[in-house]
Amino acid sequence: MWMDFLSLLKKDFKLMLSSKFLLLALGSLILYSCYINYIYVGLDQDIYPVYLYDPLHTQEVVSSEIMIVDSTEELQANIEDGYAVGINAFSGTPEIVMVSSNIRSVDHYRAAYAFSLLSPANSVAAERIGADSKEMKSRREITCEFLFFELAAVGFLGLASTLFKERQMGMIRVHGVLPVSRTAFILSKLILFLLSDLIFSALLTVINLGVAEGLSVLPHVCLQAGILSLLMALVGFFCAIWLPDFKQFSLLYLVLAVFITTPVFLAGQTGIIREGIKYHPMYHLFMAMKNAYWGISSANGGYYMICGLTIILLFLLVRQVLIREMAKEG
Amino acid sequence: MKGLKYQLKNIRRDKMSILSFCLPILVGLAINLFSGVNFSSLSEPSFCVVKNDLSESAMEWLQINGNVTTLPDMVSLKNMVNDPATQTIGVLQDGNSIKTLLSGDELQINMVIGNTLPQLYAEREDAASSKVTIIPAADNNDALKSLLIVITVVTAMFMGCTFNAMNIIGEKEDGISLINEVLPITKREYVAQKITLGFAGGILSTLLTACVCMKIAVSQIIPWLLLVVLSAFIAALAGLFIGCFSGGLMAGIVSIKIVMILFLAPPILFYLVVPSDSVLFAVSYLLPSSATFYGLMNLLTGTAQNMGIHLFILFVHCIVWFLLFLFIDRCRNK
Repeated sequence: MWMDFLSLLKKDFKLMLSSKFLLLALGSLILYSCYINYIYVGLDQDIYPVYLYDPLHTQEVVSSEIMIVDSTEELQANIEDGYAVGINAFSGTPEIVMVSSNIRSVDHYRAAYAFSLLSPANSVAAERIGADSKEMKSRREITCEFLFFELAAVGFLGLASTLFKERQMGMIRVHGVLPVSRTAFILSKLILFLLSDLIFSALLTVINLGVAEGLSVLPHVCLQAGILSLLMALVGFFCAIWLPDFKQFSLLYLVLAVFITTPVFLAGQTGIIREGIKYHPMYHLFMAMKNAYWGISSANGGYYMICGLTIILLFLLVRQVLIREMAKEG
Repeated sequence: MKGLKYQLKNIRRDKMSILSFCLPILVGLAINLFSGVNFSSLSEPSFCVVKNDLSESAMEWLQINGNVTTLPDMVSLKNMVNDPATQTIGVLQDGNSIKTLLSGDELQINMVIGNTLPQLYAEREDAASSKVTIIPAADNNDALKSLLIVITVVTAMFMGCTFNAMNIIGEKEDGISLINEVLPITKREYVAQKITLGFAGGILSTLLTACVCMKIAVSQIIPWLLLVVLSAFIAALAGLFIGCFSGGLMAGIVSIKIVMILFLAPPILFYLVVPSDSVLFAVSYLLPSSATFYGLMNLLTGTAQNMGIHLFILFVHCIVWFLLFLFIDRCRNK
């Protein structure tokens, strides 16, 4: 029994290698890590630059944040982007000049901020209540997004492409007459893809969060990655058996990638489109993954129970569809 | 012409090609639907306060400086400030003044806003009496929405690539390419038909997408059309490359994804991060989609500068990639 299962595992591993799935995962790991470390963590938004034109030197003490310009033309050129703010003190009285950002509150704040720089005072700094720096937040945020996308979309495609290849080779028909149980056939694939996803998750987390931070959140991340991996692998399995060809499968994949995951990212990362998103099942999976990256196990027993039941139901459904397909193939 | 008719008939049955044709139009429609969602709220300073904590005047002042959310208690306020999905600054009454709470992981702009807000509040009366001149901006679109529109339109332009590649790979898998070899059709005719097909599909998809989500001034129609035509030609060529050099559907899909990422991600990144007068920005023109992206962004923001350069670069790309295809094809046939 165990020997049969081991040979099934060995065969599936060989198929995985030949479909270049592991190579694709390694390529994604390198690409994501390079993007996170060399580009994403460096992205920031500076405060509005303030330019002052003061030919009469009427403003004696100004903040070091202010940049002095030598002509009205230079001042105009610098504020054209609708972001920078100009102070024209040509007449002796400072006048705030700026191109509108089209948001009234932002314009109001820009004017007040520029005005405050003319008389710098020691403002009371804000109280800091969080534990993360901006860099660590960026690292957690983007690593979570990449992992979610990789598991939800790419993992789904990986298992399905392997299965389509097997179908093309006629292996489902062969399995129909082999003394191997249907459950073992499904389990061997699930275990391999789960293992590869867990290794991918661990590497992506440790490389991009650092060893200490990465290891501290790893148990939470691996738990959520495991749930997502099993769910997506089972959905991929079901679609790959149920749909007649890979072309139709890729149509479904396109719809899944664009229309199902995009609203989740928008809601989870920007806070917009919150209404109704709680009815989107992927949103809860995404938020559980996101919380895991902050070391919070916010998901409750109900969440785990629903996930567990869904996995069992999907497994039974996949088994049923597989039996039907094997019967069809003779 | 007859061959083209058969190609169109063939593509009519190809769901993948039809979906790739319709996808940007659907996304364009979605962006239009989201016009109800205020994307500008993302760039607006966001504050949260505890109910009945701030004085009336402080609340009024805060509301004209940003978006204010009122929360029932201090715990909710701290949770909202710490929520990594938001950049919200907590504001509390502190005697006659106010004090602010930050999570510490905010962007630099929000850190400065949080740190300077009490000072701005203290100086609010002086600031209100100062003279402020606000020059209206050339366009009314907010930056994020413009970016989304341009990404969608560029995607539509380069859909001709998917259109062509999927069609050629489908023909290969169905064995039609083998039948083509014995049909009285020359290689040149086949290439011309495929380029025309991807080219026409790309242009049509772009035009429909633009009609749905883009407003173009009459004076900008000609440069915009030239931009669309040249980009769609390059996309059709890219599709021909992928279609001819991909062994199977899986390899084709992977290649299309790589090409789409290469065509879309670097121009967005260079546009947002790299200064336009740097060498790195000039290097980005090695990708044909960069010229398209920058050109469209300029058209949408109403600054039609460098349009001649963008069009010239696209024209050079068309010639270089077409000659490269002919050269590689000749080498393969030898």
